[in-house]
Amino acid sequence: MKKRLLTAFVVGSILPLTAQKKVEYVEYDLPNGMHVILHEEHATPIVAVSVMYHVGSKNENPSRTGFAHFFEHLLFEGSANIKRGEYSELVEKNGGMLNANTSQDRTYYYELLPSNQLELGLWLESERLLHAKVDQTGVETQREVVKEEKRQRVDNQPYGTFMENMFVRAYNSHPYNWVPIGSMEHLNAAQEIDYVNFYRTFYVPSNAVLSIAGDINIAETKKWIEKYFSTIPKGEAINLYRDFENLSANDFSDKYGVEKSAFSATDFLNPKDAKAKALIAKYSAMPVVVPRPKPIMEPINGVVRDTIFDNIQLPGVFIGYKFPKESDKDFAALEMLNAVVSGSTSSRMNKNIVEKKEQAVAAFSFAFNMEDPGLGIVAAIASAETKLEDLEASLDAEIKAIQNELISVEEFEKIRNQFENQIVTSNSSVAGIAENLAQNYMYFGSTALTNEQMQRYMSVTREDIQRVAKQYLTANNRIILYYLPKAN
Amino acid sequence: MKQIITLVALVAITGVYGQLDRSVRPNPAQAPTININDSEVFKTSNGITVVLSENHKLPRVSFDLVMGASPIAEGPKAGVNSIMGQLVLSGTSNRTKDVLDAEVDYMGATLNADGSSLYLSCLTKHLDKALGIMQDVVLNTTFPESEFERIKKQAESGLLSAKASPDEMAANAEKRANFAGHPYGDVMNEASLAAITREDVLENFKATFTPQGAYLVIVGDITKDQAKALAEKYFGSWKGKSLYKVDLGGGKATKGNRVIFVNKPGAVQSVISISLPVDVKSGDKNQLPLTVLSEILGGGSFGSRLMQNLREDKAYTYGCRSDLQITRDGSWMSASGSFRNEVTDSAIVQILYEFARIQEGYVTDEELSLTKASMAGGFARSLESPQTIARFALNIIRNNLAADYYKNYLKRLDAIDKETVLLMAQQYLASGYNIVVVGNESVLDKIKQFDADGVIEKMDAFGNPVVEMKTADISADQLLEKYILAVTQTTSLKAATKKMKKIKSVTKEMELTAQQIPAALKMTDVFQAPNSDASQIEMQGMVLQRQYFDGTNGGSTSMQEGKKPLSPEALAAKKKSIGLFPEMNYKTSGMTYELKGIENQNGTDFYVLFTTDGDKQQFDYFNTKTFLKAKSVIIQTQDGETSEQAISFGDYKDVNGLLFAHSMNLMMGEMGLSGKIVKLEVNGKVDPKTFVE
Repeated sequence: MKKRLLTAFVVGSILPLTAQKKVEYVEYDLPNGMHVILHEEHATPIVAVSVMYHVGSKNENPSRTGFAHFFEHLLFEGSANIKRGEYSELVEKNGGMLNANTSQDRTYYYELLPSNQLELGLWLESERLLHAKVDQTGVETQREVVKEEKRQRVDNQPYGTFMENMFVRAYNSHPYNWVPIGSMEHLNAAQEIDYVNFYRTFYVPSNAVLSIAGDINIAETKKWIEKYFSTIPKGEAINLYRDFENLSANDFSDKYGVEKSAFSATDFLNPKDAKAKALIAKYSAMPVVVPRPKPIMEPINGVVRDTIFDNIQLPGVFIGYKFPKESDKDFAALEMLNAVVSGSTSSRMNKNIVEKKEQAVAAFSFAFNMEDPGLGIVAAIASAETKLEDLEASLDAEIKAIQNELISVEEFEKIRNQFENQIVTSNSSVAGIAENLAQNYMYFGSTALTNEQMQRYMSVTREDIQRVAKQYLTANNRIILYYLPKAN
Repeated sequence: MKQIITLVALVAITGVYGQLDRSVRPNPAQAPTININDSEVFKTSNGITVVLSENHKLPRVSFDLVMGASPIAEGPKAGVNSIMGQLVLSGTSNRTKDVLDAEVDYMGATLNADGSSLYLSCLTKHLDKALGIMQDVVLNTTFPESEFERIKKQAESGLLSAKASPDEMAANAEKRANFAGHPYGDVMNEASLAAITREDVLENFKATFTPQGAYLVIVGDITKDQAKALAEKYFGSWKGKSLYKVDLGGGKATKGNRVIFVNKPGAVQSVISISLPVDVKSGDKNQLPLTVLSEILGGGSFGSRLMQNLREDKAYTYGCRSDLQITRDGSWMSASGSFRNEVTDSAIVQILYEFARIQEGYVTDEELSLTKASMAGGFARSLESPQTIARFALNIIRNNLAADYYKNYLKRLDAIDKETVLLMAQQYLASGYNIVVVGNESVLDKIKQFDADGVIEKMDAFGNPVVEMKTADISADQLLEKYILAVTQTTSLKAATKKMKKIKSVTKEMELTAQQIPAALKMTDVFQAPNSDASQIEMQGMVLQRQYFDGTNGGSTSMQEGKKPLSPEALAAKKKSIGLFPEMNYKTSGMTYELKGIENQNGTDFYVLFTTDGDKQQFDYFNTKTFLKAKSVIIQTQDGETSEQAISFGDYKDVNGLLFAHSMNLMMGEMGLSGKIVKLEVNGKVDPKTFVE
C-alpha cells in the first residue's frame, strides 16, 4: 500500500500542473450603476443571460423571513408588457429554459436561450428589473406554491430541517439566524407595502450584476444592453418612474409636487417640462441605500446540544462549526480540509467510519460558502444499530487526528490533484461560467478570481490545513444536533 | 477627463434609445446552424463496439464501458444486480479496495461502476495509468467476502432510509404495479436482500459483464489513433460469456384504475404518481411524437398542462410533471408530484382530467409549437456536452436508428402535427392507470373513489402487498403452546409431551381431486417417530412423485425430474422441523419464528406465525378461538425461482386422542387441489424402506 502510494506520488509529481482554461471576459458599469460581465464563446449556439441581485434572506426584515425567496417567485409573474404566465412561456416557446434561486446572500435569475434569442433574454430581464407587476392572484398562488415547496423540500424530506435547526442556533443578532425558505406565517402576514418596499430597495440597477456567456458578439450585445438596461433610471429615479407608472395623477403630484402629465411614458428620462427634468436629475443623483447587515463573526458560546425528532428511520448526527466568509484567505484551506476527511472513497471519514467501523451509511463534511461568516458542517447518518454517541466520537476522532498531526505528503498530493481536476473541469458550461463570473464579482469584488482558482488552492500548504483545523473546528464551541426517528 | 467621456456616452445613449417602446418584443436574429460532429465507430479484436467523440476543449477523457446484456429477472433475489454493481470496485487480485480507492483518488480521477457499466473520467495526463486500473477491475475483480457482507449491511440500512423517503416508496410501488413479473418490477426488500449470496453476485457479474455485445464510449481529449490503440491494449484481451439477450415483453396494462396506497405516518404531503405502461420501445417511430405528447401534458416547462393546472392555477403543488421512460426493454409514462394532504383527492381528479382531456381533443397550435420549440431548444442545449454526441452515436447503434437520425431530429420534430399527437394519446394512454399515493392514512377515505372496484391495495415501502394486522394479545411461544394443547387435547405441555411419546407412527391416505386432472390422485403421508417422514403421490396406481427422509438423509424421485437428493438447505430445514407436530420443538430446534399479529380473513381472526428457514418462508394461520391451524402459506425459493403454496386445513377429527384435519385444500400456483382423508392410522405397521431411496 505504502509503496504503491509512493509510486503514484512520484508519477504525480513529474507531471506538470494542467493549466486552468482561462475564461475571457469584458466587464463594465452602466451609468445607472449596473455591472455588466460578458463572455464570448462559440462552441454551441446558445447563450446564458443572467442577473444576480445582491439580496438574499439576510436582507430580510426579521418579521418577514422568507421574503427574498418569495419575491423570486413573484418576479416571474410578468410586467406592464408581459402578462401573467407569459414570462416562462416566452422563454420556452423560443427554445429556452429559465429558472432562479435564492440564497442567504443573493437572488439569481437566468435564461438559457438559443443564441439568436439573446435580445429577448435582455428585454425579459430588463422588464423584471424596471417594472415587474404582481397582482393579487399571483401573490396568493405563489404563496401556496412556496408553501408546497417548503413541505416538499424541507418538511417531508428526511433530515430536511437540519439547515434551519443549525442556523437558528448558530446566530443570534446576524440574520443568518433564519434560512431562505423562511417562515410561512411571515409570508401569510405580508402586506402590499412590504412588496413595494422590497422591490424599491433591492431591485435597482446598482444592486444587480448582468452576466452573459455564450455564442454572442460583444459589440452587438453591448448595443442591446444599452437599449434595454441603460434606459433604466439611475438611483431613486427608478422609483420615481415606478410611481409614475403606478400612482394616480393626484397621488403622484401630491408626492412629488410635479404633475404626472409633465412626464412622457415613452421617453421618461427626457421630459420637455423643466420641473420634471429637475425632478429626474434630483432623484437620479439620490442613491438607493441598500441596507446590509454587519458581517460580524458571532462566536458560538460553548457547546449547544439538541435533539430533533424527524420522520426518519436512521438516526444522524450533525455538527456545526463557525467558518469564515467565503472570501476569507482561510476558506480555501478549509475546503481542502473537508476534502481530506470526506468527499471521495478514500477520504478519511469514508474509509474509517463508513467502511472500517461500519458505523455510518454516509459521512460528510462541507462548508456553506457565504458572503458573511458562515458554517461548516460535519455529519453522518448512522448505520442500523449504531449509537449516535459512538458515531459522534468517531467524527471527533477524525477532527482531532487532523488537528494533531500534519497530513502526509501523499495525502496532500492527492487533495491537490483532486482540486486540480475540479478546477480544470469547472467552467465547462456557459451557464456555469455566467454564474461564476457574477458570483466572484459580487462576493469577492473580483471577477478575475474566476481565473485564479488554481493559484488560490495550490498555494494552500499542509500547515495551513492543520492550522485551520485547529482554529475553526473547535471542540468547545459548536452545535451538535442529534436526529432521531419520531415515534408514530 | 474621464467624467466628460461618461457624460458624452450618456447623452449618446439616451439620444439613441431614449424613446424605447418596451411593449415591442424583440425579434430573433437569424437562427444559428446546429452542427453535430460525427462520432467514430470501430471494433476491438474481441468484438467490443467502440464509439469515439473527440473533443479537445478541456484536457480530459472519459471511458464508459457499457454492457449489452438484457436485464436479468431477479425475483426472490431482487437487488442482486445492484449489490453486484456496488461491489465491482471492491478489490482485484492485484489491488485491495483501499489501494484501488487510493490510486484513483490520488489522480483526482473518477471511476464508477453499476450493475451494467464502468465509467472512468480523468485528466488526459493520467489516462494510461487510470486505464490500467480500469482494466484490472474488468479482468480481476474479486468480490471479497468481507466487502460483500459490508455492502449487504449497508444495503439493509439503505432499505431503512428508503422507508423514510416518500419519493422512493412511490417509485417502488410504481415499478411493482406496472412491471409485475418483468425485471423492472424487481424491487429489493429485506427478504430478497437477505437471500442474496456472494455466489449469486459472482454469477450475476459473469452473466452481465462480457465483451460480447459490449460498448466502449470514449469522449474527450484523445485522437482516433490513440483511442484505437488504448481500447485494444486495455480491453482487447478480455474474454467472457456469450451475450444474454432476451426480448422482454414490457409492462402489463391494468383493467380499470387501481389505487395503491403506501402508508407513511406523519407525512405532511401525499406523493402521487399516476402511471401506466406504454407499448413502445427505444427506436420506435412513435417515440418522438409520444415524447411531444408527454411534454405537452407535463414535461419540463412551466407551460405544460399539469404545471399550469396544478401549480399555477390551483397552487396544489410546487411541481407536477409527467415523465415518459422509453427503453429497449419496457416503457412507461407517469405523472407525479407532492401535494398537501388536504388536496390529495383534488389533485388526482385534476391529473386524471388532464390524462382524459389530451385523449379527447387536439392540443392547441400554441401548445404544439411551444413544445416543439422548447424541445428543439433542449436539443440544441444538450449539444454543449460532448457526452451527448457520443450518446447519439450509441443510440443509433443500439436502437437500429438511421445513421442521420439526430441530424434530421429537428426536421422530424417539426413535422409532428396535432393529429399525430391525438393519435398517440388515444393509442397509448387509454388503458387503466396505477394511482399510487404515498401519504398518511388520513387521506385513505378520499382516494377510494378512484379505484375501479373500490378496494384500495396497500403496499409497503418496497411494493409488497400489505395485509392489515392487529397486534397479537399473546406471545409466539404462548400460541405454540395453545396449539399443541389443542391438537393433543391436553391441558399442560407436560401431559402433551407424555401423550406424544406414545405415538410411534402415523399413516395418512388422502384423495386429491382437481378440475385440471381427470382421475383422483392418491397421496400417502407417513410419519415415524422420532423424525422420519415420507410422502408419495399416485395416479391410477402409477407413482408420480415420492419424497423420503430418514432423519438424517433424504431425497425425492419424480416422473419429471428423476432422482434428486435433498439439498443441504432442505436437509437443514428438515432437521429444524422435528416430530409429528414440529411446533412442539421450535424452541429447541433452532427454527426462526415470529408472531406477526392477528389477521382477519372473511370475518374470522387468525394468529399469523411466520417462520423462515433457508430458502423457505412460511406463514401459518391459527384460529384465535380454537388455536387450530387453518392455513399454511409456503414460499419456496429454488434456483432463482419462487413458488408459493397455500394449504388450508379443516374438518378436525379425533383419532387416538389427537386432532387431525380431515380435509385440506392445496393451491399450487394456478392449480387447486381439494383433498379428503380416506384412511388415517396411528401406530400402525410401517415399512422401513418407506424412508429411504
